[in-house]
Amino acid sequence: MEKKLLILLFAISMVFPLFSQGIRDSVFRIEGVSVAAERIFVKEQAGMKQTQVDTTVLQNKAVLSLSDLLSENTSVFIKNHGRGALATASFRGTAASHTQVNWNGISINSPMAGMVDFSLIPVYLIDELNLKHGPASLADGVGGIGGSINLYNRAGWNDKRTLSYMQGIGSYHTFDEFLQLGLGNKKIRSKTRLYHNQSKNDYTFVNRGIGNFDPQTGALSHPIDTNDHASYARYGLLQELYYRPRQEHVISIKYWGQYADRTIPRPTSYEGPDNSNLNNQQDTDHRVVADWKYYSPIGKWMIRSGYSGKQLDYNQMNRVPGLGLVPAIYSESRQNSLFSTLSYSGNRGEDLSYEGSLDMNKHKVGSVDSVSNMAYEGRRNELSLFFAIRKSFADRLNLNLMLRQEWVDGKRAPFIPFLGMEIRLLEGVDLLWKGNVARNYHQPSLNDLYWQPGGNPDLRPEKGFTVETGLEYQQNYGGHQIKTELTLYRTDIEDWILWIPSYRGFWEPRNISRVLSKGVEYMLQIQGKLSDFGYKVAATYGYTSSINYGDPAKWGDNSYGKQLVYIPLHSGNVLMHLHWRNLFLTYQYNAYSERFTTSSNDVTRRDWLYPYIMNDVSAGGSFQTKQANFTVELKVFNLFNEAYHSVLYRPMPGRNYQLVIMIQI
Amino acid sequence: MIRKLTCLIFPVLMLLAGCMKDDELWSFERSTHAFPFAGLFVCNQGNFMYGNASLSYYDPETREVLNEVFFSTNALPLGDVAHSMVIRDSLGYVVINNSGRIYIFHTHTFEVVGKITGLTSPRYMHFINDSKAYVTDLYARSIAIVNPLSMEVTGTIPVNNHESGFSQHATEQMVQLDKYVYTNCWSFDNQILVIDSQTDQVVDSIEVLKQPNSMVLDRYQTLWVLSDGGFPESPYGYDLPGLMKIEAGSRKAEIVHRFSQGALPRGLAINGSGDTLYFLNKGVYRHAVVSTREPDLLIDSPYPAGHQGGFYALEVDPVSSELYVADAIDFVQRGTVYRFTPHGEAVDTFQVGIGPGGFCFKP
Repeated sequence: MEKKLLILLFAISMVFPLFSQGIRDSVFRIEGVSVAAERIFVKEQAGMKQTQVDTTVLQNKAVLSLSDLLSENTSVFIKNHGRGALATASFRGTAASHTQVNWNGISINSPMAGMVDFSLIPVYLIDELNLKHGPASLADGVGGIGGSINLYNRAGWNDKRTLSYMQGIGSYHTFDEFLQLGLGNKKIRSKTRLYHNQSKNDYTFVNRGIGNFDPQTGALSHPIDTNDHASYARYGLLQELYYRPRQEHVISIKYWGQYADRTIPRPTSYEGPDNSNLNNQQDTDHRVVADWKYYSPIGKWMIRSGYSGKQLDYNQMNRVPGLGLVPAIYSESRQNSLFSTLSYSGNRGEDLSYEGSLDMNKHKVGSVDSVSNMAYEGRRNELSLFFAIRKSFADRLNLNLMLRQEWVDGKRAPFIPFLGMEIRLLEGVDLLWKGNVARNYHQPSLNDLYWQPGGNPDLRPEKGFTVETGLEYQQNYGGHQIKTELTLYRTDIEDWILWIPSYRGFWEPRNISRVLSKGVEYMLQIQGKLSDFGYKVAATYGYTSSINYGDPAKWGDNSYGKQLVYIPLHSGNVLMHLHWRNLFLTYQYNAYSERFTTSSNDVTRRDWLYPYIMNDVSAGGSFQTKQANFTVELKVFNLFNEAYHSVLYRPMPGRNYQLVIMIQI
Repeated sequence: MIRKLTCLIFPVLMLLAGCMKDDELWSFERSTHAFPFAGLFVCNQGNFMYGNASLSYYDPETREVLNEVFFSTNALPLGDVAHSMVIRDSLGYVVINNSGRIYIFHTHTFEVVGKITGLTSPRYMHFINDSKAYVTDLYARSIAIVNPLSMEVTGTIPVNNHESGFSQHATEQMVQLDKYVYTNCWSFDNQILVIDSQTDQVVDSIEVLKQPNSMVLDRYQTLWVLSDGGFPESPYGYDLPGLMKIEAGSRKAEIVHRFSQGALPRGLAINGSGDTLYFLNKGVYRHAVVSTREPDLLIDSPYPAGHQGGFYALEVDPVSSELYVADAIDFVQRGTVYRFTPHGEAVDTFQVGIGPGGFCFKP
């Protein structure tokens, strides 16, 4: 009876996303869909909600930015200021700085702003992409109240010498070039990736922000404008070196350098002089990470050191008669971070494992605006101790206790415990009941503390408390596999930091409010073979209620009890991938419900970000010659040429195309 | 099996495709209005770069509030950061800062008449005569001369200060005494520029306390200036905020009152008879122009001590001398306007748009 009920429950939950307008998840490609079930009952991951992004998705989106992948294939909401422009994440209804992003184990969140611009990360660089939802991120570090996004590069010891070149040619004068070279043997390997992306990004749109009046009739019309001043160019190099002198030792060093130059569009309603209000931003990043892993018979040691440096220059120029172009803003900032980690993980028999690590990080930032002469410098030292113990009981119950203690500039931060569990409900069946309860906290960013003007050195860290529960199920039926997971979470965040304009004329951050984020995450994947066809369907749906319960300072503040701005209540995506011999077809939906732009959730015709659904389709094929393997793919984005917005009055492109050609030797 | 799959896929496809609303959203019936009476316009700045500025209209007689009057009448969003507004005859001129333009509309019907474009970062507009007006600017380092009849920029008055290491001069409000137009330079500045409106040239400047943010002229033709002093960590330096007066014909500022450090006075306004000043410093303060005492607190701020919120804008009805005080709250929701008698007794409260920052009375 119990079993029947559970099966019924799952049958219902699997049909559910087909009827809801929200959905999400993955893309896939050619090589038959392998139907090998992963182990899902792992004590080291007990109670943790994770998403492992399919490698076929990574391949399919290789020419795009991580922001595109996250919004189309995961439950992370991306606030996108336009194609190629700033894209920030909201994970489980939290702020952009509540998503921790790690590259090969080192944080790449800006120590100044606390967040990451996902438009600057090419998917091409990622070999493995892992998302840890909510408190699961404590396995990687503190601060990920929403979760963490982990990008990894892998040695690929079994690869032979590889050389591949990928060329993307797309609408709006978009060109993407990627070159990859892999060399080495079973002892030493080198992987080099070079890339260049550029776009004029000159799509046209109906500009509702400007009205033209017919001189005779006075009739109003909106011009068809070009998305001017929105071009971008990126140049980058990723170099990896791996050395495995003996089977139990692996040493690696990785370098990722990137230069990005973007012009930032003016407001669409701008009707000032052509040569004024010109905005430009350059991001130069250098990141290095080196690690040594030693696998002893009873445990694993790891030492890692890393560096992350960023230079961000932003300027706004205006024409001044007689002087030419004069900056109104000329801001230059430098951010330098050093990371070091020592960790050990070991086992006591099959059923007990433990892990300990020590992290020491140093951040130093400086920013100066040479127009206002406003400047600040900030530093931070972090010391973090981590201990975890995991126990398995008779293959029916796993427990996972993780403890973290940080000291920030010598001051003890809140103690962070995580207790996760999972229970195998039916013997021998991959049907798990999972859950966790955890605390988390997020330090104010250095801008929050020291920015001139406005920085507030008295800010307290943001503190979160999460309770989470869910069911996970996985089963193979002949040549078909089904995988599904349903999660419910509730995160209570105190001392949420908000930048609020003070009437001094600038913004100031305050520990203003309490935010209660509650939600449902649902994921479904079905894949398999039907005679000659291989198929994969992946969907996610998210219900995200992120409500402000800040102290209603006084009468008139209607933001109390309202959804945070720019966070959709419903979001989701579906991906369908079919392949037949060497041909493949991928269809992608991605939907968001309405988003509010006012803290009081007023819906006005002018300020409303209405729901949207994006449809993308791509098709291609590959063929092999003696010398090389060729793949050709045509992608169509925004298939139905819909007008939609991610940010108020920032135009998004209509239907557009991309041709991708890949040659592998 | 394949057929089964397509049967499954297509309904889903139909369900999900095509529910965009851009065209629908923008083809709505425009409202029509006729308000040939005295009233109050509120410029709601909106959020920088969000293009969500709006215009509210309040009828003091009936206490009726109409929000988004420009948009609902014209199906045209006002733009990005509506900074200020003036009325000349029956036409209203709204200065939209980050859209670089001024919209001109009929103040009885709210119907748009035209626009003046090509302005860099316009702040305030001041009429010299029917065919000439000045528009101050934050970044252009010049004041634009516009012809409101032809809706064109006809010239500029350069105000660049070569000697300063800061971006000067950024010009703000304008007050006219005889043929001279006085404009305060707020951003990293401490000057009141004097412009001869016949020759369109800067003829003099008056040094005041740092960052003069607002000015009014009283019944004795004395110019009153309120400076916020900048902020303590400013690279430009910091003055204790102060209230100053410049006697008619004089080109020298005399300090009337100094505030304590951290005070944030703004929004200097004067009543209809030109004898009583009002300004904001979290709450609303009052000061008679002939008084020798300290300004007195008339209306307390609704925010608790330590909260950085406070009233954001203030204006006095030139006829009734009633006070209108705007609270922008968190600047990302609709603000509130409070109406008080000249003695600070509450009369009415109404909701306007996001970031109410400017008022304009229609006679």
